[in-house]
Amino acid sequence: MAIITISRQNGSLGDEIADALAARLGTIVISRKYALDNFFGEINPGTLDRLNESAKFFDLQLPGSDRTYADILVERIRALASESKDKDLVILGMGGSVLLSGFPGAIHVRVTASETTRLNTIARKYRITADEANEVLDIGDRKHRKFVRTVYGKDITAPEQFDLILNTDRLSVDECVDAIAELARKHDIRVRLAESNDSSNTIDHQTRNIAFKNETEEEFARILSLYNIEWLYEPKTFPVEWDAEGNVTMAISPDFYLPKFNLYLELTTMDQRYVTKKNKKMRLVKELYPGTNIRIVYKKDFNELVDRLKMFGGVGDNS
Amino acid sequence: MANLEEALNTERVVYSEETIQARIKELGRQITEDYKDKELIVIGVIKGSLYFLSDLTRAIDLPIKVDMVGFSSIPDTTSKTGIVRITKDIDLDITDKHVLVVEDVIRTGLTTAYIIQNLEMKKPKEITLCSMLLNPDRLLMTIPVKYYGFEINDQWLAGYGLDRNEIGRNLPYIAQIPKQK
Repeated sequence: MAIITISRQNGSLGDEIADALAARLGTIVISRKYALDNFFGEINPGTLDRLNESAKFFDLQLPGSDRTYADILVERIRALASESKDKDLVILGMGGSVLLSGFPGAIHVRVTASETTRLNTIARKYRITADEANEVLDIGDRKHRKFVRTVYGKDITAPEQFDLILNTDRLSVDECVDAIAELARKHDIRVRLAESNDSSNTIDHQTRNIAFKNETEEEFARILSLYNIEWLYEPKTFPVEWDAEGNVTMAISPDFYLPKFNLYLELTTMDQRYVTKKNKKMRLVKELYPGTNIRIVYKKDFNELVDRLKMFGGVGDNS
Repeated sequence: MANLEEALNTERVVYSEETIQARIKELGRQITEDYKDKELIVIGVIKGSLYFLSDLTRAIDLPIKVDMVGFSSIPDTTSKTGIVRITKDIDLDITDKHVLVVEDVIRTGLTTAYIIQNLEMKKPKEITLCSMLLNPDRLLMTIPVKYYGFEINDQWLAGYGLDRNEIGRNLPYIAQIPKQK
């Protein structure tokens, strides 16, 4: 499940994207308003106004406590993220990208747009003149920057903290939501696979760039994609033999992992001489890592699959 | 003009009409028992399952609903292999229903996996599979095959829905045919 932080420029449709994304994921938006309503217990109206007015008031201590509003905000958002293992979380603003920087599985999104687009959006939304919209933008952007600088001492506009920056000059809210949701879904698969190594003593082998070892692997990947079957290339290494000192002496990194089917596939199509060795490794993986679905795609299987796909135009009874 | 057996150059009968019908009756009884208190939708995969679907559904003594799904590959300018897409989607609402997908033959399971992935997006309660023929040695995908008629090996077959270049589906039994070079 995804943790998505959304930082936005005023008038960039970031709020609308957050709302639509939360609706798509069946969750709610954790915004500054949500935080003020839920994180600090009873707040008197004067304090609430001050917290809404300026970031500097987040440095105030809560009545009867030595902790500041900023301390509580950080603690509660990190707690929400830690507890969100099985549910999606959309955090809007509040410097979520800074607060959850490096948090496993979190995707940090920045929504921007040109000044012209933003001015038009603000002017339409509040039915105000261009000059008034300009002032609203100035104040809003300054407040966003100040909040993050005051509470965390960071610059919210620095691009390197974001995984995805969307420009809504030409993109619709729906297109942006599609992009974020798909990125979050795929990233979650990688993160979960990496985390699974902790309990199984396997080794994360995921790279950020696929480099097939041969044409057969590339062809097989194409066939999987043809059937819209999602795959990861060599994402994990299974140690299967160790020396007396516990050093790994034999291991296997299956060529493909199909997350939807929780299935590892190893191709033995290049050289049949390796088949016996691979069969042994397969057997050891099954013994040492119970519950792991792993299968060999033999040369004969692969060739027949390719032949039949050619013959039947991609599909057919004998494939 | 050659008759059907000659056109296919059939080598031997693998499963006769009688054998097929007897096995289908057994499958029908089992499915009837397993789904007696459930709302079941049976979905046949076009075109191979045509005859099997027809006989199997008539062997199930339950008020089932029947639908069909079809798919094919189309060329895609952005890839060498093209893409597979649904050409005939189901008409029935399968949300929260038990679904039994009927196939003529499952070998690698790639096509079946594709269909299951598509049907799962419609949020059924459960999807299981019934295939007339299954090659367990070549099955790559972890797919929910609950029922099957007969296990097969790598032989090439035609008849009872199975074709070679669209010929042979109407052969009333399953025959072995020569492998195409």
